Amino acid sequence: MNYCIRHVTRYRYPSPVSLCHNELHLAPRDTPTQSLRSLTLQVSPWPGYQGERVDFFGNRVHHFSIQQSHRELEITACSQVTLQPSGVEPLGLQSWETVRDRLEREVTPEILDARQYVLPSPQVPLLPELRDYGAASLLPGRPLGEAVADLMGRIFQEFEYRPGFTSVSTELPVVMDHRCGVCQDFAHLALGCLRSHGLAARYVSGYLETLPPPGQDKLEGADASHAWFSVYIPGEGWLDLDPTNNLIPMDRHITLAWGRDYTDVTPVKGVLFGGGDSHDLEVQVDVVREG
Amino acid sequence: MSTPAPLSLLAPEYALSGDHFDELLTSEGILRPQWEPIMGALAQLGPEGLAERAADIGRLLRESGVTYNVYSDPRGAERPWPLDPVPMVLESKEWAVIETGLIQRAELLNLIFKDLYGPRELIRKGLLPLDLIYGYPGFLRPCVGSLPTIPNPLALYAADLVRRPDGHVVVLADRTQAPSGAGYALENRVILSRVFPSLYRDAQAHRLTRFFQTLRRTLGTQGAPGAGRDAPRVVLLSPGPLNETWFEHVYLAGYLGYTLVQGQDLMVSEGRVWLRSLNGPEPVDVILRRVDDSFCDPLELRQDSWLGVAGLLDVARRGRVAIVNPLGSGVLECPALAAYLPAIARHLLGQDLILPTVETWWCGDPRQRDHVLSRLEQLVIRDLAPGQGGALFGDALSRPELASLKDRIRANPGGFVAQERLALSTLPAFGPGGGLEPRRGWLRTYLCARDGDYGVMPGGLSRVAGARDAAWVSNQAGGVSKDTWVLASEAEPSPALVGAMPMVGGLGTPVSLSGRVAENLFWMGRYAERAEGTLRLMLVVLMRRRLVRESTGDSSGDATLRTLLRALTHLTATYPGFVLEGAETALTDPAPELLTLILDRERIGSLSFTLQALLRAGHELRDRISGDSWRVISALRERSNALGQRQPQDPEHLVHHLDELITHLLAMSGLAQESTPRHLNWVFLDAGRRLERGVMLADLLRATLVHPCAPDDEPALLEAILNYAENTAADPHALRPEALLDSLLLDERNPRSLGFQLAALESHGAAMPRTGRDERLTPAERLILEARNELRRLQLRDLALPDGSDHRLALDQCLARQQHLLGSASEALGRSYFDFTRSQHLLASNLPQPGI
Repeated sequence: MNYCIRHVTRYRYPSPVSLCHNELHLAPRDTPTQSLRSLTLQVSPWPGYQGERVDFFGNRVHHFSIQQSHRELEITACSQVTLQPSGVEPLGLQSWETVRDRLEREVTPEILDARQYVLPSPQVPLLPELRDYGAASLLPGRPLGEAVADLMGRIFQEFEYRPGFTSVSTELPVVMDHRCGVCQDFAHLALGCLRSHGLAARYVSGYLETLPPPGQDKLEGADASHAWFSVYIPGEGWLDLDPTNNLIPMDRHITLAWGRDYTDVTPVKGVLFGGGDSHDLEVQVDVVREG
Repeated sequence: MSTPAPLSLLAPEYALSGDHFDELLTSEGILRPQWEPIMGALAQLGPEGLAERAADIGRLLRESGVTYNVYSDPRGAERPWPLDPVPMVLESKEWAVIETGLIQRAELLNLIFKDLYGPRELIRKGLLPLDLIYGYPGFLRPCVGSLPTIPNPLALYAADLVRRPDGHVVVLADRTQAPSGAGYALENRVILSRVFPSLYRDAQAHRLTRFFQTLRRTLGTQGAPGAGRDAPRVVLLSPGPLNETWFEHVYLAGYLGYTLVQGQDLMVSEGRVWLRSLNGPEPVDVILRRVDDSFCDPLELRQDSWLGVAGLLDVARRGRVAIVNPLGSGVLECPALAAYLPAIARHLLGQDLILPTVETWWCGDPRQRDHVLSRLEQLVIRDLAPGQGGALFGDALSRPELASLKDRIRANPGGFVAQERLALSTLPAFGPGGGLEPRRGWLRTYLCARDGDYGVMPGGLSRVAGARDAAWVSNQAGGVSKDTWVLASEAEPSPALVGAMPMVGGLGTPVSLSGRVAENLFWMGRYAERAEGTLRLMLVVLMRRRLVRESTGDSSGDATLRTLLRALTHLTATYPGFVLEGAETALTDPAPELLTLILDRERIGSLSFTLQALLRAGHELRDRISGDSWRVISALRERSNALGQRQPQDPEHLVHHLDELITHLLAMSGLAQESTPRHLNWVFLDAGRRLERGVMLADLLRATLVHPCAPDDEPALLEAILNYAENTAADPHALRPEALLDSLLLDERNPRSLGFQLAALESHGAAMPRTGRDERLTPAERLILEARNELRRLQLRDLALPDGSDHRLALDQCLARQQHLLGSASEALGRSYFDFTRSQHLLASNLPQPGI
């Protein structure tokens, strides 16, 4: 499956910004089932200084500075991506306790790399309520694949998808108390449940191709960035799960970046000088299937 | 047990106890040889002599403004630095071993540092647990791959040393990001060598100067200078005047000759770091930082930090700025690392540690955790989570507290470290009774990288507990510092003497001026003038009150006094005061309102509030203020604090204090006028003063002359105004309002007139840098010019003549207009020169929200 993705982020400021520094996690990763065919990043006004590096988690990071006065900033990322589901999805037939013990004991490079995703992270603290919520899915002896699918299903059933209720800085206890949130919150929630039982799970930032209601044309800019989680299964690799839609991502999820939580892979962040006390933000995402 | 002769004189009750080591006496009570000369000399001085020297030390410290701040204490700002008159003494043979051990440790920490932010082989090989490093908040993932490729990236390193009861010196903690205290050690030495010149000379203690020369040389070679310059530009980055050791930042910057900056003074542009001088950006090559790692860059590290420089880490990553120490070095301060150091030392160096660490267990390891849980009450426990820095002493916890701590450890074992509870050694300290007493203490030592090796400061900063029976040392609990003398085995050639505080800053030196400093100078000028104006009017009011009371016995009905009281409310903007609701009560008995106007620190506009604001500005400008001016500010602070202690029934009892304060304020303005070169620093300081003086004068004249008083009252009122304006030459009885207005508004030769202020502001405006290209007049200059032109065009007769409703409307309008223009000019200065400093904002993406 080939996709063309266009992601436009536009900021408008009430007064001029004299200088800004920004960091972008907007380059789709290459994975065993995804390859990036092209990427163009356009920034307006023209950034006087720019560069690229690979972050701690292996994601590509672009950064730039705009050193001239401006009242509007537009970042456009266009990428072409091919998804090729391998056909052999991780099954996770080992019991979740076996996986936990192997993560604790084995020291192969792969397990060591996965082990960092067992630890708590800035937005996913260790909380007893998360441990308890996870325990209902992680029943003794249950195969890991089955257990995480169950957890995903419960989050989908028991939490309401309610845009606007939470913000980027909402903490997990609030999500737990009100049983609602958006995809980012559900991903963090699942991470907290799994990590508090010693399992390795990471946050995945990306896009989801949305389909228009039957008989209608797809609206331009109707897509959005998305987030889900991924769990590590020794010997098999990482298994992605989308608790917002209760499905295993196959050929409609495009992966941008992964990390411990949202703070590691924020798509666009920056520090600016001037600009007044608030700004308008407009985001447009189009995920278009190519022939 | 008998005390030896010199000791019996000074410390008749210097008792030893068996559970620890005493630095002064052996367990048999015999003076250790390295102390003999010093104790002999001190004994000759006798208890009185020693007390005198201790008092000298206190005076020197106060005079040079040596202070530290205590965060948790609301009165914490600027406590006098406590220094004990008796130095800590170490003999050269033992010191040689310590030195070798410290250097070994510094080299080991460098290897670990480079590995953790590079290949992380130590984790792969199982020498360090992954969870320990990855779970420690000081391990900063964005810093991986950002270290400079030099042999010893840790240019500075400090270790806290303690002595075990068996006499062995061990390391209590490693300081690797921005070790503090070296400046205090230097300043302690300067003071002690002044107070005990011959004792210091005869003792042949190693000098500290060489260490700072090494530091300067090392910093000078860390960064390559940009094009067109032959030496790298080094700045000292401080978190600012609220930081615990702000004085030290000022002192070191001055001593080393570096510009003292805060985060907002720097910016990243074109992939470089620049100092935002008002004269244009100046490149920065090396940053000696006192800001903690995670606060240094809000873009890649802590987003909520206002102390750092956005984009700094990336410039360091590209090798275009050297940060000392490099960002990320805080990971080496993880106390749990100590549990793994011996094995790492054997692996990386093939050696055992010469200086071991206090025995340490990391609870993330199940076996170590079990050990800790089994004897919690004998250990010191540390929570590794950020903001949980304090140590918990197991033996000080109650049974339920121990149980709850055990639960917390079991719930998150990797987040806890335990250390052996040590009985610290005791050092002789000057006690409250005038003799010497043993107190627990430790020593912080300093190392500086030098050509692939390390130089150790021969000495350091010793600290002892605030009381004889205290088991631990902390600043909060009144800890006291000590100079530390490492005795030379043979006389060493004496390098250039360490001088007293060689301030290179000083208001007179043309160093770079950032917007932040300019703003502080401007407001210091405004606050100084506001304090003086408030004091003047207050004294005028009290004088009138006294006069009326003496002649009539009751002052409540005096029209002039009432006018002046109302003017005081207007001038200080402390409404309702004598003007709005409740005014009649206040006018009838003004004493309570006058007292809060003088004493209430919390009340905006009160004299005490303004003085505090002035002192705060002075504190932040410490590096720009000359020694003489600093003495005046210190005196002002003491007087202001003394005022705060007073609780009189009547403001009359404060007149003497107010007179003294005005004398200090006049000394301050006199120094600014007479001893300060007319650089840009002075221009902003004086602009603030002129602007405030103009605004206050307009306030006063509006409050007193717009509504003409009864002809009988006029001389008294005019006299009061003249007194305020220090214009006593004129005869108030022969004076008409026209003449007074002429003198106070228009006469540009009178330094108290509005016209004079505007003329001065015009020339200051012309001296300020242009911000835009082709900018002939800055916005502030335009406003000042407008005000001056309007004032010059005025017809005095129109102003002084009351209109039909017996009201000097033209005067009111003219003064209101002048106030408006001056206020706008102040805001325009802010926009042109100061505002950038407050304008940092964060930008974040919206929340991912897929349309399902």
